[in-house]
Amino acid sequence: MTDSTSTLAASAARRTGGNMNWLRHVKSAFAYALLALAAFVSIFPFFWMIVGATNTSAQISTGKASFGDQLLINIANFLDQVDVVRITINSLIIAGAGTVATLLVTSLAGYAFEIFRSKFRERIFAAMLLMLSIPFAALMIPLFVMMSRFGLINTYQAVILPTVAWIFMIFYFRQATKAFPTELRDAAKIDGLKEWQIFAYVYFPVMRSTYAAAAIIAFMQHWNNYLWPLIVLQTNDMMTVTLVVATLNSAYTPDFGVIMVSAIFATLPTLIIFFVLQRLFVQGLLGSVK
Amino acid sequence: MPKLSKGWRRSLGVAVSSVSMLAVTSALAETVTVWCWDPNFNGATMEEAAARFQAANPDFDLEVVIFEREGLEQKLQTQLASGVMDGLPDIVLIEDYSAQKFLLSYPGAFEPLGNHIDMSKFAQYKVDIASVDGTAYSLPFDSGVTGWFYRTDILAEAGYSHEDLVDITWDEVLEMAETVYETTGVQLMSVGVDSATATRPMMQGAGSWYFDADGNPNLVGNPAFAASVETYGELLRSEAIDKSNGWNDYTGAFLSGEVASVVSGVWMTATVKSNQDLAGNWGVAPVPRLDLEGAVNASNTGGSSWYVLSSAPQKDLAIEFLDTIWGGDIDFYQKILVDQGAFGSLLAAREGPAFQASDDFFGGQPVWANFSTWMSEIPGVNYGIFSYEADNAIQASIPDLTDGSKPTEQIVEDINNQVNQLVM
Amino acid sequence: MTIAENSSKGGLLARSRIARREQINGWMFIMPALVLVGIFMIYPILWSLWMSFQVGRGMNLSFGGLSNIIRLTQDPILLRALFNTGIFLVVQVPIMLTLALIFASALNNPKLIGRGFFRTAIFLPCVTSLVAYSVLFKSMFAEDGVINAFLMWAHIIADPIPWLLDPFWARIVIISAITWRWTGYNMIFYLAALQNIDRSIYEAARIDGVPAWAQFLYITVPLLKPVILFTSVISTIGTLQLFDEIMNITNGGNPADSTLTLSVYIYNLTFRFMPSFGYAATVSYVIVIIVAILSYVQFLVARDRRA
Repeated sequence: MTDSTSTLAASAARRTGGNMNWLRHVKSAFAYALLALAAFVSIFPFFWMIVGATNTSAQISTGKASFGDQLLINIANFLDQVDVVRITINSLIIAGAGTVATLLVTSLAGYAFEIFRSKFRERIFAAMLLMLSIPFAALMIPLFVMMSRFGLINTYQAVILPTVAWIFMIFYFRQATKAFPTELRDAAKIDGLKEWQIFAYVYFPVMRSTYAAAAIIAFMQHWNNYLWPLIVLQTNDMMTVTLVVATLNSAYTPDFGVIMVSAIFATLPTLIIFFVLQRLFVQGLLGSVK
Repeated sequence: MPKLSKGWRRSLGVAVSSVSMLAVTSALAETVTVWCWDPNFNGATMEEAAARFQAANPDFDLEVVIFEREGLEQKLQTQLASGVMDGLPDIVLIEDYSAQKFLLSYPGAFEPLGNHIDMSKFAQYKVDIASVDGTAYSLPFDSGVTGWFYRTDILAEAGYSHEDLVDITWDEVLEMAETVYETTGVQLMSVGVDSATATRPMMQGAGSWYFDADGNPNLVGNPAFAASVETYGELLRSEAIDKSNGWNDYTGAFLSGEVASVVSGVWMTATVKSNQDLAGNWGVAPVPRLDLEGAVNASNTGGSSWYVLSSAPQKDLAIEFLDTIWGGDIDFYQKILVDQGAFGSLLAAREGPAFQASDDFFGGQPVWANFSTWMSEIPGVNYGIFSYEADNAIQASIPDLTDGSKPTEQIVEDINNQVNQLVM
Repeated sequence: MTIAENSSKGGLLARSRIARREQINGWMFIMPALVLVGIFMIYPILWSLWMSFQVGRGMNLSFGGLSNIIRLTQDPILLRALFNTGIFLVVQVPIMLTLALIFASALNNPKLIGRGFFRTAIFLPCVTSLVAYSVLFKSMFAEDGVINAFLMWAHIIADPIPWLLDPFWARIVIISAITWRWTGYNMIFYLAALQNIDRSIYEAARIDGVPAWAQFLYITVPLLKPVILFTSVISTIGTLQLFDEIMNITNGGNPADSTLTLSVYIYNLTFRFMPSFGYAATVSYVIVIIVAILSYVQFLVARDRRA
């Protein structure tokens, strides 16, 4: 599709003639300058973080902005203070299982809200928007009581369950479903597929790029979740990456070199997932908002 | 495609079942659990204490769980409020300023340690902080006795020696700051705009607090409070004083040599020493005092204590452990002072060798012995339960304080109004 | 392929049964989400609603009737939090969404070299972990930090700006931080929508001599209305719940409560101050009511323009 649009645009450019060229050049130079500035501003803090990881704590607090030789020492200190394997496994289980469950539940709901419309369900949908706006801090205590009644305190389930039916995601899938061609559904129905079969064998493969986009966003959410895991997780063997990184930053004598290493470490998994899925991601959002 | 969705479902199943296996927490018979926040400070001292107790009790085991400082308070609060006791630790560390808030909000949640341990072994003011109706609830940990850490080289350049810093008032400090700034171009100290690290110790040094002994606001007509607010305003307005926002900014200022001194708790020693490039160029003087009748050059800022939860599965063992090591092992206190810079509150520990030693980082001063002396002079006050509310009200007045045109009485009045609004 | 495989199984259903079946399916599909929302949202929401009528310290609670609502009307801190949240809402959300829209239209040009790079770069900030992001912003906006160093080097300012110490500049820092983190996120939504617009519309407009700005205003923006609505609802809720940035960059609302938001105030009431869970719950419902009103207005505006 990109090919066809670019040829269209190219032919359009040819048609509009040459005397406008210098103006177009100025305009595109302006666009490049704007984008370059935005890209620079976006990337600069990452550069800052990487520079920080190569310096000592004292150098960072005195504002040194050049690469140093402390990277390996900082990494060694980080590995020394933190049980990296354990917390990574915990975070991956929580983010992985959480993402899969979130996608399943919210895509089913988002699909159904859009495809099978009824007045009553529209009301439920509107009520959900209001629920989304209640600050989590107001709900923490009753949630904790509930988790303890279920006997789930200090478990992965307790961390994952409250965020599985993530209302924002239901919204997102409903938006995305608007782009799902109804002809496909009609064809599948004529072929005698049951509704769940249409969802599993038609909707899911067609919308897999939407799922990829949702996967990144859901993974980000579960991976970076702080407040709720802090409350329900109790022991060292259950700690997550995000929780541990926060403790490093609260020490009386914080080691900024180690903090920078931990910040990079905490950012890496989401970055990797983004890079791997980004092709699908852009296409996914593409389909989502027709 | 069907293959994929089946695989999907299977992996979800595996994830869920492996989850329930791991859910069983290890609750071994002799394991005491501790929650605290700094792995290199209070966490490390607990590990050391456990190792010592283990020598005599081989079955004993201690699990230290570290949470982020504010996060820990949040977590404890949520859990106590929900009334759920499972998963709470045996021992928890609480900051002194929050002690009364916890003790009064959740009566019955904490074990009255005064009934088990002889509290006269500890600095009295620390015991008072965690007492309700005369019953002590905490095992006092680190003291927040204040000192004035200063750069000897920079102050010498401005013509000041140690003697010039001893027993002076905040007004004299402000004059000194002008001179130092004019001669060296370095600001004397940094004052925080984010917390009341400045006003709290000023007030306590004058034997006063935001609240009276009964916990009622004591702001209007309290000379110590008015003087603290006024001094804070002068510090904020002075060109010769740096302003900082947040811990990193505050510590970064003196570590980098941007400012020549810092007034803080003894626990700041380790942070000051973390920049070894400046070894030999630091000294410690007693803190300045307010120019008021009865104000002394000794105060307190921060500090924390250990609490045992009434619901703790290993309550008796935890108390025995605390009493044996934290309540009696003089050697242990020497070790944590040297290794972590943790200044304990056990009175007998001060006679030990480490507390008497001099420190070359501070030009050979007997810093610990000095801190011990100052500690015995700290006026005891009741922190009450609304200190954060009062801090917040002071912070809200910072624009007026910085501007300087509003009379202090009026600002005190504003602060009082806001505090009364929150204290309900 | 799967359609073909399964086609033999199917038989035709009677028309009347289809509608009923759709109803049943509609409920079945949303059931998992409804059950989870019911358990993990409705019960806590009812609890907090009940809490909003309780007064007292910590768990020593008693029924207070409307006293929390009366307290709302006399609370100067709540007013400050409302004011700040309002400023962030009115200033930051439009800036962010406009920037996102501009970047998206620039990136929509298929001839643009390095599209993938720019897209990734501008999206990157929203994947950063919160701790990293706040530590970085604090150090960059410190008085002797890199931002001041740059501005002074470029002779834009003569003296360093006390970013985090001055109420005005602290708000600017917070606005910059949120904009930095979320512009790319919103841009992706716009970019996606833009790529769905038929290019021939722009073709025709160009041939008719419609200038680029007019194309943007009269073609792009109207066609993107549903997405703009979606992003503005989500951003509005996000701003009303603004919490992480304030806790981590301005230490919970400094200086002088100039960046205090409703969410941070709720947090203070619950955890920092003597806990008043009841009043904290009441303040939470202030956010809900604001969202209800704003969403209603936004939907009305969208509907009006369409008509």
